[in-house]
Amino acid sequence: MTRIPGGLIDRSQTLTFSFNGKRYTGHPGDTLASALLANGVHLMGRSFKYHRPRGPVSAGSEDPNALVTLRSGARAEPNTRATVAELYDGLTARSQNHVGPLGFDAMAVNDLLSPVFAAGFYYKTFMWPRAFWEKLYEPMIRRAAGLGALSGEADPDSYDRGYLHCDLLVIGAGAAGLSAALTAARAGAQVVLADEDFRLGGRLLAESDPLDGGPASDWVAEVEAELRALPNVRILTRTTVFGTYDHGIFGAVERVADHLPVPGTSVRQTLWRITAKRSVLAAGATERHIPFASNDRPGIMMAGALRAYANRWATLPVAGPQDRIAVFTNNDDGHRTALDLLAKGANLLGVIDPRADAPRFGDYQLFAGAQVTGTHGRLGLSSIEITRDGRADWLECHALGVSGGWNPNVHLASHHRGRPVWNEELQAFVPGEGGPQGLIPAGACAGRGSTSAALGDGARAAQAALSELGISAALPRLPEAEDRPLRQTAFWHVPGKARAWVDFQNDVTVKDIALAHKENMRPVEHLKRWTTLGMATDQGKTANVTALAVMAELTGKAIPETGTTIFRPPYTGVSLSVLGGGDTGKDFRPTRLTPTHHWAEAQGAAFVEVGPWLRAQYFPRPGETHWRESVDREAKAVRSAVGLCDVTTLGKIDVQGRDAGEFLNRVYSNMMGTLKVGRVRYGLMLREDGHLYDDGTCARMAEDHYVVTTTTGNAGLVYRNMEFARQCLWPELDVQIISTTDAWAQIAVAGPRSRELLSRIVDGFDLSNEAFPFMACASLSVCGGLRARLFRISFSGELAYEVAVPARYGHALMQRLMAQGADLGVTPYGTEALGVLRIEKGHAAGAELNGQTTAAMIGLGMMVSGKKDSIGAVMSRREGLAEDSRRLVGLQPVDPEAKVVPGSHLFADGTAQDMAHDQGWITSACFSPHVGSSIGLGFLEDGAARMGEVILAANPLEGSCAALRVVPPHFVDPEGERLRG
Amino acid sequence: MLIPHPLLGLRDAQEFTYLGDAALLDRPSPEGEGAEAAFCDYVFLRGNPAGVHRELWFHEQGDRSWLVVTRNTLTHEILGAELASKVAKALKGAAE
Amino acid sequence: MADLRPLTALGADTARSARFGALTLTERPDIALASLALRAGAAEPAPFGLTLPGPGGLSGSQDHAAFWTGAGQWMVLAEGRAETDFAAELRAVAPGCSVTEQTDGWAGVDITAPGADPLERLTERLVNLPPEALAPGRATRTVLHHMPVLALRHSDTRLTLFAMRSAAASLWHALETSAQRQAVS
Repeated sequence: MTRIPGGLIDRSQTLTFSFNGKRYTGHPGDTLASALLANGVHLMGRSFKYHRPRGPVSAGSEDPNALVTLRSGARAEPNTRATVAELYDGLTARSQNHVGPLGFDAMAVNDLLSPVFAAGFYYKTFMWPRAFWEKLYEPMIRRAAGLGALSGEADPDSYDRGYLHCDLLVIGAGAAGLSAALTAARAGAQVVLADEDFRLGGRLLAESDPLDGGPASDWVAEVEAELRALPNVRILTRTTVFGTYDHGIFGAVERVADHLPVPGTSVRQTLWRITAKRSVLAAGATERHIPFASNDRPGIMMAGALRAYANRWATLPVAGPQDRIAVFTNNDDGHRTALDLLAKGANLLGVIDPRADAPRFGDYQLFAGAQVTGTHGRLGLSSIEITRDGRADWLECHALGVSGGWNPNVHLASHHRGRPVWNEELQAFVPGEGGPQGLIPAGACAGRGSTSAALGDGARAAQAALSELGISAALPRLPEAEDRPLRQTAFWHVPGKARAWVDFQNDVTVKDIALAHKENMRPVEHLKRWTTLGMATDQGKTANVTALAVMAELTGKAIPETGTTIFRPPYTGVSLSVLGGGDTGKDFRPTRLTPTHHWAEAQGAAFVEVGPWLRAQYFPRPGETHWRESVDREAKAVRSAVGLCDVTTLGKIDVQGRDAGEFLNRVYSNMMGTLKVGRVRYGLMLREDGHLYDDGTCARMAEDHYVVTTTTGNAGLVYRNMEFARQCLWPELDVQIISTTDAWAQIAVAGPRSRELLSRIVDGFDLSNEAFPFMACASLSVCGGLRARLFRISFSGELAYEVAVPARYGHALMQRLMAQGADLGVTPYGTEALGVLRIEKGHAAGAELNGQTTAAMIGLGMMVSGKKDSIGAVMSRREGLAEDSRRLVGLQPVDPEAKVVPGSHLFADGTAQDMAHDQGWITSACFSPHVGSSIGLGFLEDGAARMGEVILAANPLEGSCAALRVVPPHFVDPEGERLRG
Repeated sequence: MLIPHPLLGLRDAQEFTYLGDAALLDRPSPEGEGAEAAFCDYVFLRGNPAGVHRELWFHEQGDRSWLVVTRNTLTHEILGAELASKVAKALKGAAE
Repeated sequence: MADLRPLTALGADTARSARFGALTLTERPDIALASLALRAGAAEPAPFGLTLPGPGGLSGSQDHAAFWTGAGQWMVLAEGRAETDFAAELRAVAPGCSVTEQTDGWAGVDITAPGADPLERLTERLVNLPPEALAPGRATRTVLHHMPVLALRHSDTRLTLFAMRSAAASLWHALETSAQRQAVS
């Protein structure tokens, strides 16, 4: 156990957790990594390629090594960084990427084969033979790839989303972020402050330096209390702002319940879309390491992380207080770690600093002008080799803090093509020009990382941002704080022949970069892909800049000439579940229910999804064992008696205005302006390219009032196009449109007895053929005074009507019609029977109006008026379309037992069945109870002239081929006598 | 993105549907010899410059107005937005 | 009147109502709605004494309210009048305008709370609008869980949302889920 005094953990409570099945304890405030270190567990995982033993190298979200699978069962969450996993009672975690126990990974044999697995290994090895690509290499690579494994079970938790709008978003709640938030909050601005940690304070929590002479955490607590008391401030902890998007929009994930054993009634995570007028990026900096021989052993970590574990989490990554700890640094900041370790009573071996003039800040041994050139220790560090002036000494050492300086966290500032620029004095990239609109980097992420500089910078950034919004903000009094220079130097790696890791997670070493250089993979984009540098789950946060420096050294170019690293969202991994914001399963999209839905449900109807709608598909009756029995019965009832079908889903658009008729002339291919009041006309709508895209009916209710219907699927599109025509093409016309789809429940009453049935519910309305003929419409009242609309239109080919009432009465109207029609054989029918009826009648529907067909193809070429302009009219006359001879035909199998299969392609008998001889295709097919066999509709070249011919319908998917007779596309009542009767 | 709606102020692009080149406002005359060729250009040829572009957006989940938005397609900077009906009326006025 | 019995958008005889912590959701099948659009050259009417508001606005009197839905377009509503032919009534007082019945095109749900805070905490989970678009006295059409909705902020403590009537169950589900989560958090 290596708990030391102090720290920001709550020792009054003990939490129990398990790692690889073994039980340990920790305290609130711990992360999984700090608790494991405090329990003497340093080995937490295996590297990706060589399966090297690894422990945490950082104390934050950048960690490449300490990846574990949290939780179990359906909640198992692979590749979670132990360094940011907040400890809770009952936490269970397992290590990943090993065969056998973590300490004896059988796959570690890869490490011995490392010469084979050098840069470009996959590209070089799996090239040949080609036949092995899919069958051997891919499955093999897939098995070996990845670190943790998904559970394969459905995610049991719920996720939410939300939208925040603010004047100022402050990203990061360290010194700069807190002072920015405080400045803006006191000015009364709407502020959102987000931090990925579970506690505000950022790096302040990890340092021992006082603020105004007291602990920094006291100042943090004071500021937090003030901010929380203000109504204009929203504090989001456990929230990672993962991406910046256009115009001040940010994506953030709040881990609402990740720190609880199970979310309970809470959501697991929330996806926030934050729209900020201005933002301050106070994302801090990430320490970089120094590659040297065998620098990847557990126990070797960033010097700043060592300090954070000691100061914030009261632990040291060693087995006991007697174990020696050293620091290897090329800058002054590493020495702070030495001082803090001394203050914590650690057994400090000393500080190794390659600078010959390295300063000493306290009472510790200084190895100036020295380097660490090797390490030993199988599953954890046991000794290090220090080389100075050509002399190498092996010294016992159990933990080593490494500091290569700090890289500003420029990520979010570069999401928007903002290019980081090289700062020579700092030896680091800082945010450059052209970053996200309205975003001001402040503090360490802008290269101003001393506590004093960060505090001041944050406040000034907030003040500047708000002044652009016309809000004046006073700079707050900020506490006295340290202001030491970093003095970063250009010492990027320790030269040597042994492997020195640059990217820990993907096992990329200095040698791999040298090989990439030798093989001319020098541009940073090539380097990345050739070596897989920076492509692991940590996205190279601790590796990329160092790799760039190594490549620069090899090419003899300066670092900025070698390249920059551009970051893209997300900053850290985001689960797909939360990106969906909870839109899974039935919540994927809204469901629209028809006015008779509950009635149909009570009848035991089967339902089908039609776009967002649920429609009754058929109504099985007792004894019917197959859906076809129900559908055949329903279709027969319509042909012989009367059927009822809810057709509310068809789009309805109310068109009014003095120029309504002229407007409709232009959006329909046929004339609508000449339609008489009280009459309905079938209409076609074309796209401007001359193809058909929708059809429906157009009823003239008054001189200046039409009701247009669209197909169910195209209701939104037709409306959008009509608005386009109204606003963009002909704004001079006086026309007003509005959707009324949901306002009216519309029920088709179809069949020879439909008139008789309707006569029982209309209030004194003359339904005779003379008074209300085919294609008539009227406003009337039904059932004792309810306003209604009646249309005499027919999709089935039978005498038929559609009656509409205010939607709230749809259910009751259906019940009434069913009751009134009992003696007439009234039968509800669903979409299946509707389909059968329209195929029998040869009416086009979605399968025929697929966006590639013309009015002529469905046999309605004369409906494109040549007397007027309308959308698509000119283009419909172009040669390619006008000469298309394919026509809608009916198809009937020669063998009545054979099936017509939609999607089959049509060929003349005796020709090859290939593209060159293709003569058309089958669009729709069904079993026709009226014909007594399977029938179909299809488009056939010269179809109109080929009645009676026998052709072949080939269905290569099922390997079938059927002989079909070409017939007119009206299987029922070709003369249309029934619907006019 | 945020679209500066001329009547409603900044609204999230989530509320809008995108169509593209505002040249679609300038529908050719259906009359005369060259009508088919003119429609061919109108239907199939659209500007898609890397830079400042005038494009049509529909406030489908808002007030259903069509807008002409002037946007730099490289930076996504939006230089202005007008009601398409106004632009179309001006266009027709100029043509007459 | 007709001898048929109407159902609410949620499929019951009576309006649904439920309470979740500080929030109360109430279905409003009683609200009559009709759209009003100015025809070319028509003077802006003042139906039922209402001043038709500008973009994003909501104006109301004791029994009626009007809100802007688009250039030259408004929705006019009357509480407790859903069973009447409200469109006809509006047509009579809006000469030269196009009026369309909308009552059953929409399913309305009132969301009320003792203060503005719970309401705003709920709406930030549902709609992506700048706060000023949903300030008291404002109304807008927007999208909620992929559904077009009309959102009317009558006051600090009352918001009415209308979704397409066919999507009433989805609207209620979305509101209930969010309100429930807020009640337990």
